[in-house]
Amino acid sequence: MENITFRIRRYDGTNTWVQEYRLPYEKGKTILWALTKIKDEIDPTLNFTSACRHAICGSCGVKVNGHAFLACKTSLDKLLETFDTSVLYFEPLGNYDVVRDLVVDWKPKMEKMKKVKPWLLPSREGSKEEGFRQSKQQFAKISSSTDCILCGICASECGQLAINDGGYLEPFIINKAYRFVVDSRDNAPEEHIRPVLENELWKCIHCMQCVSKCPKEIPLTDEIAYLRKETMKMGEVHNQGARHAYAFYHDVKKWGRLNEMTLPVKTDGMVTTLRKRIPFAYRMIVKGKINPLRLPKAVKGIKGVRKIYQQVEEESKS
Amino acid sequence: MLKYDVIVVGAGGAGMMAALYASKDKNLRVACLSKIFPTRSHTGAAQGGINAAMGYRDATDSPEKHFRDTVKGSDFLADQDAVEYFTANMPAIISELDYYGVPFSRDPNGRIAQRPFGGASSPRTCYSADKTGHVILHALYEQCLKNNVEFLDEWFLLSLVVADETFHGLVAMNIKTGEIHPFLAKAVVIATGGFGRIYWNRTTNAINMTGDGTAACFNAGIPLKDPEFVQFHPTGLASTGILLSEACRGEGGYLINREGERFMKRYAPEKMELAPRDLVSRSIEMEIKAGRGFGQGLEAYVLMDLRHLGKEKIMERLPQVRELAMDFEGVDLIEEPVPIRPSCHYMMGGIHVSDYATLATPVEGIHAAGECACVSIHGANRLGGNSVADVVLFGKYAGIGARESAKKRPFGLETLVIKEAKKWESKFATMRNKTSGIRLVDIRNKMAEVMWNYVGIFRHEQEMRVALETIDQLLNDYEHAYIGDPALRYNTAFVHYVEIGNLLTLAKAVVLGAINRKESRGSHARADYPQRDDENFLKHTLIYKRGDRYELKYLPVKITKYPPEERKY
Ligand SMILES: Cc1cc2nc3c(=O)[nH]c(=O)nc-3n(C[C@H](O)[C@H](O)[C@H](O)COP(=O)(O)OP(=O)(O)OC[C@H]3O[C@@H](n4cnc5c(N)ncnc54)[C@H](O)[C@@H]3O)c2cc1C
Ligand code: SF4
Ligand code: SF4
Ligand code: FES
Repeated sequence: MENITFRIRRYDGTNTWVQEYRLPYEKGKTILWALTKIKDEIDPTLNFTSACRHAICGSCGVKVNGHAFLACKTSLDKLLETFDTSVLYFEPLGNYDVVRDLVVDWKPKMEKMKKVKPWLLPSREGSKEEGFRQSKQQFAKISSSTDCILCGICASECGQLAINDGGYLEPFIINKAYRFVVDSRDNAPEEHIRPVLENELWKCIHCMQCVSKCPKEIPLTDEIAYLRKETMKMGEVHNQGARHAYAFYHDVKKWGRLNEMTLPVKTDGMVTTLRKRIPFAYRMIVKGKINPLRLPKAVKGIKGVRKIYQQVEEESKS
Repeated sequence: MLKYDVIVVGAGGAGMMAALYASKDKNLRVACLSKIFPTRSHTGAAQGGINAAMGYRDATDSPEKHFRDTVKGSDFLADQDAVEYFTANMPAIISELDYYGVPFSRDPNGRIAQRPFGGASSPRTCYSADKTGHVILHALYEQCLKNNVEFLDEWFLLSLVVADETFHGLVAMNIKTGEIHPFLAKAVVIATGGFGRIYWNRTTNAINMTGDGTAACFNAGIPLKDPEFVQFHPTGLASTGILLSEACRGEGGYLINREGERFMKRYAPEKMELAPRDLVSRSIEMEIKAGRGFGQGLEAYVLMDLRHLGKEKIMERLPQVRELAMDFEGVDLIEEPVPIRPSCHYMMGGIHVSDYATLATPVEGIHAAGECACVSIHGANRLGGNSVADVVLFGKYAGIGARESAKKRPFGLETLVIKEAKKWESKFATMRNKTSGIRLVDIRNKMAEVMWNYVGIFRHEQEMRVALETIDQLLNDYEHAYIGDPALRYNTAFVHYVEIGNLLTLAKAVVLGAINRKESRGSHARADYPQRDDENFLKHTLIYKRGDRYELKYLPVKITKYPPEERKY
């Protein structure tokens, strides 16, 4: 390959257009190298943000061919291979307000983050003078979640945020809440959990995009699952999500599989299902995703499934 | 008119600590202004740790030992009263950070873990794996959010308004809109970090470490202290300058030249690759100068070979390093040696702070803390782990100092700050409208090249004279620079233009300080004066800027306890 073509979505506050640049191919370079070279040598009007250039400051998230990457860490060779093309299409991160070109606005996200009280609510076991004691195991619980560099890639990729009207929290905000919930030094986990619950915790659609794209490999969906369980322990079982979880539980116990037909009814109640879900269900049928005429049968290994239930139930009693 | 009792410029470790403390007085209106979103600040890049004599790992450690190590590390140029204050107060700051939720790594007793570091006589570096700066930066941001600190994110400090040695306010640009605003303030804390970018890509520093606050103070009449002291780290990645941890050499990595030879045998036959940072950096440059490196000029490098350690050891001990080399140099250490070259790492010098307890500068109302300031506790050479410590501790006292200044001082004159803002507005307009001139990038690259070649690791009078002439020429060219972007909104070309101006202003001070210090001390290695000369140079350089003229003065070093002796390890 001789040249790489960069098609970059530009925005100046009023107009949006796509501008094309071409650079000779060089081995072993990063996305950030290309952006910097374009700005330095071809077009000083192109704008993007970067700082540390080694994956720690979180400034340089950008979308290429529809997916978000950390520009300084991602090699062009990898992209060219993955997308099997010499044309790369650049856009600003999704689910953000754009300031100019590839630059997005973080201010609104931080206002939103404040909802989860993103700070330690220190327990009485520590003091400003003496600090805390925390075991290695307790530290291990916060080790991965505090890797987050607020790069916004998870938010850009999030399937729920894309369709949500602003209520759902960015995965990194959920991560921030989680980080304090599991910190042995925090006195009031509920104060971080409740706002997450109230901001549509159960709407995560498990698309796993956040996890698979996070440059710090933070297990965001495990954290979501954990927070959900915590809310149920807090007695928050009468919301849609928790009911969905219970329905899931009962279906699998009974049939060894999910019954997509009855799940919405159990989750939402009959009336709401008829009102809300019929158009959705109709689309699913048309696309062959569910067969409303086939009633579920228990799967072959259903005895095994029930055994698992039994065991888990016994374990959680002890 | 935007009016604040205290404005903190910079949202790194120093800035946010200052903002946190200044804003503890709820009667004061405090803003924290930063050209990048706070958690992007370079404090986040610090990996190794933060020094404080907690005595958790070694009960015999003490602030006194930390004091002694720091003075010795500084090659006796540090002010000992300030160092003593620093080391005595550090343990309390660590506990405070713990209370703010910093996730420190722990020892088996649940106390904060500590590790050994270069130049330290006890293992006293507290850490969080290899992301210490990152977690401290984020925790401070969280605390600022908790305390409702008013952040002006992506605002760029253009200049400080000082008339008759009285501080009136400042001028800053809202980068997102392109509007330039005058600010009135009773006190300001400058916490804008270092300026390693005078070497452009040959630095471990972030792209935006351009010393804007240092230059603003310098232009406002505050002297720079000891700017000639620049720390170089031996193992920066060749093409980007990104830091590869000292652990590479620690684990037994080889340094080899184009002839495949372990060249350290020429310079440190016993210690080989494990010789101290400055010596190894100098050796690499000698090889390159002797034509035994790879590549040419700024692109030259030698190799670090880790292959003999084997896959298993590399994966176990150096996984992060391997990833860095892979992501940023396209090299898998298990299979290939990695191109490296020393990289500018840290500025010991900076804004002259005249009172270490309040971080006041000679201009009342202006305080400075962090890497941009020179207290001086690092003297001629900073110890690893002492900077993040410096930043949080002196950031705190700068916040308190500025709070007290603000209570004592009235607001300044509106007319003066408005006039200064108008000047910048017209400059911005001119630069946006220009359609031709000298390319900014060319000026920048030329600066980096002469600074690297002539005022880098090795220094010699004749070469530095060439550098000085070139910098003067570039300052001239700068007047004819053009930026090529007519937009108001998020004009990073203009921001970069101001940054380059600041770098040139500071580069000149580095050269002047270096030419006039006719001795070798700490990081300042003169080929023509290879010895330390306490008789003539046991003193701080102070450089003043009056208009375009630079004036040199000197200031005695404060020696309270440890008289200078030979620095041996
Ligand atoms: C790769 C690397 C590793 C390091 N590791 C360690 C370590 O392990 N231990 C250690 O002690 N030290 C280490 N250091 C040094 C240490 O990290 C820095 O010296 C320290 O963090 C500087 O902090 P600061 O608060 O002074 O400035 P920074 O964190 O650099 O913050 C500067 C702030 O000023 C703002 N600013 C700058 N100019 C303007 C302007 N014109 N207008 C508005 N705002 C502006 C920026 O936006 C930013 O918020 C390391 C340095 C590097 C480069
Ligand atoms: S798994 Fe959930 S949080 Fe993650 S991207 Fe998908 S919807 Fe968003
Ligand atoms: S969770 Fe991962 S992807 Fe999301 S902001 Fe943090 S580091 Fe980036
Ligand atoms: S530039 Fe800092 S994360 Fe990419």
